[in-house]
Amino acid sequence: MPNSALDNRTEGGRHPPASEGLWVRVLGENGVQKWVFYIPVVFMTLFLAVPMALTVVWSVFERTQFWMKPGLTLFAYETFFTSARAENYLFSMLHAAIAVVISFALAFPIAVFVRRRIPAALQHRVVLLFILPFMISELVRVFALRPVLGRNGVINTFLMDIGVISEPITVILFSPIGVVIGDVISFMPFMVFAGFLAMEAVQGYVFEVCEDLGARTLRAFREVIVPLAAPGIFAGSVFIFVNSVGGALVPTLLGGPGAVNAGLIVNQAIVAIDFPLAMAISAIMMATLMLLLYIGHRMFDLTKILEPLS
Amino acid sequence: MNQNEFTRRLFLRSAASVAAATGLGGFSGLASAQANELKIWANPGVHKVGAKDWSAMESQGGISIAATAKSARADESIQKMVVGDGNRLFDAVTDNGGGMEDALASQKAIVPLDTSKIPNWKNILPIYNEGGVGASTIRHEGEVYATPMISNADSMAYDYKALGFHPDSWGVMFDSQFKGRVSLQNDFGPTLTNMGIYLQQTGKIDIKNASNMTPNEVKAVCEFLIGYKKKGQFRTFWDGFQNGVGLLASGEVLMSSCWEPVQIVANKKVGDKADIRYGTMKEGHQTWNNMIMFTRGGRERGKDDLYYKLANVYLSTWFGARTLAGLGFGPQMSGVDAYIKANPKDFPADVQTRVLDILKRKNERYAVKGNSWQNVFPKHLRAYQDEWSRLQAA
Repeated sequence: MPNSALDNRTEGGRHPPASEGLWVRVLGENGVQKWVFYIPVVFMTLFLAVPMALTVVWSVFERTQFWMKPGLTLFAYETFFTSARAENYLFSMLHAAIAVVISFALAFPIAVFVRRRIPAALQHRVVLLFILPFMISELVRVFALRPVLGRNGVINTFLMDIGVISEPITVILFSPIGVVIGDVISFMPFMVFAGFLAMEAVQGYVFEVCEDLGARTLRAFREVIVPLAAPGIFAGSVFIFVNSVGGALVPTLLGGPGAVNAGLIVNQAIVAIDFPLAMAISAIMMATLMLLLYIGHRMFDLTKILEPLS
Repeated sequence: MNQNEFTRRLFLRSAASVAAATGLGGFSGLASAQANELKIWANPGVHKVGAKDWSAMESQGGISIAATAKSARADESIQKMVVGDGNRLFDAVTDNGGGMEDALASQKAIVPLDTSKIPNWKNILPIYNEGGVGASTIRHEGEVYATPMISNADSMAYDYKALGFHPDSWGVMFDSQFKGRVSLQNDFGPTLTNMGIYLQQTGKIDIKNASNMTPNEVKAVCEFLIGYKKKGQFRTFWDGFQNGVGLLASGEVLMSSCWEPVQIVANKKVGDKADIRYGTMKEGHQTWNNMIMFTRGGRERGKDDLYYKLANVYLSTWFGARTLAGLGFGPQMSGVDAYIKANPKDFPADVQTRVLDILKRKNERYAVKGNSWQNVFPKHLRAYQDEWSRLQAA
């Protein structure tokens, strides 16, 4: 059978295995192959875009006794903005923002240290160590903070034993501070990863140039390193912020009386079988996040995050 | 669903697939086995006794049970049974608190019962008879739709060793000497009902029905709690069984409004370090029960006899004694104390003493006049939600 393609494949006496021929037939350029690349698009459409669109649509539906019916009402939004839920939502964003700042202050220097001081061959392994906490259930990690931060916990017992305090410090658990501590400990590794990746954009000679020009460490960090790594820092901040605002576990286990965040407010609306309200709050969360991403992109050009990889 | 149940269900499904694929006659046997199986949706930790799996319940009823684990969330149950596939999946479902049978019956998700087919119905507590305080909890428009399994009057757990006295009023929770050592349940239903009862019975707020408050009444109750929250009276509001246990067992709080099993487990956990007890509040308590209901799908599949056999187990003193001895839930039939005394092999002397004491204190709580039944769907649910969010924000 004279066929140029076949001739090419058999060139040099090499015969392709039968299975390869089968794959070529199934996934060949004119077959399924080009469609395979659309699978992620289909996936994202079905499981991300459609649910997000439905969230917005359902948020304007009318609430029925146990479900909802098609309609066009902003009642759920009105309920959200005219109740204390909006206040709770803003407070949860404030706590999340504080957690982001503290995580940055603790984790970014770690990322810089790893990038600068650890031999290149070991850097990725060291960063991978920060994955270890994620091998333990978040429930266990957060719950384990209670015997540490509690009235009779490790910190209070130690401080009382050495005579620094005479009464237990209660503000570090079951309080907004407890929530921030929990968020930082739970999500800080995201900042280490993002910071480490961001530092790929800062070439080694930059540090040397800073030193040669006499910039002190703090100034070099503030005026050179951070601006260069800003897209990565922003990405890490978004991860922490989103988890802190939406995750139910930390405020439930470490928060004060009735502590909530945006995720818990949604959950409570669902428990009360108020689906339009739950959808409205979710839509507001999505809008908030998209606004943050837009601002971040305008300020830091988030496409730069992936530049080191390319 | 626990591992055993999961494995069993998986096995049945796999066996059905193999039988279907090979065309073996075993399929008809499997189909017949499934016809004799009652598919129930229940809380495995609360709604079964006697063994780690459902085997003891099965042997008592002489039936086969395929159980699927159910959470304690009323919204999930309602959603699945009213707008989801609950009726296709389950022959019987348990509820999540007072008022659910009305909701499900009004949506025709469950069907009325013929109580004459449940021999132990004659032993049911008198409160469930027509005119009794619990009568409406198992009825919808006058017809019986549910079989009660367990009940209780929720109260306050406290560390007697630390307090040195037995609190008999919810008012102790608002005593300034216990500032920062008090916890409430993080659920507007039981918390607002119990606080409503307290404020109603002490005359602090004019409340007509603590189980179904008006928006103004709910607002007044929350205002009261907000005042104390701002003063730092509450350490936290607990959510989840282990969380409630941990707060009491760690000494983080000295008193907490909670379910009785939380107190029982916390007291076991602390050993001699504390003495955590469950009080009787003179103002009253939120009373509740859990029931098992027969689904429309179950009736369509002809599972009536299987349901009635299981309902009969739930109304037997065998079940009542064991649920009382285990998690301290109230039995729904008379004669449990006699059954416990007559079975020293299962209930040795020390267990008898402990269990009968729980029953005695439970009956004392039931007898308080100010008690009010749980209502998971109060008329002004939105007001409950809104005011609760205000309390959270305060």
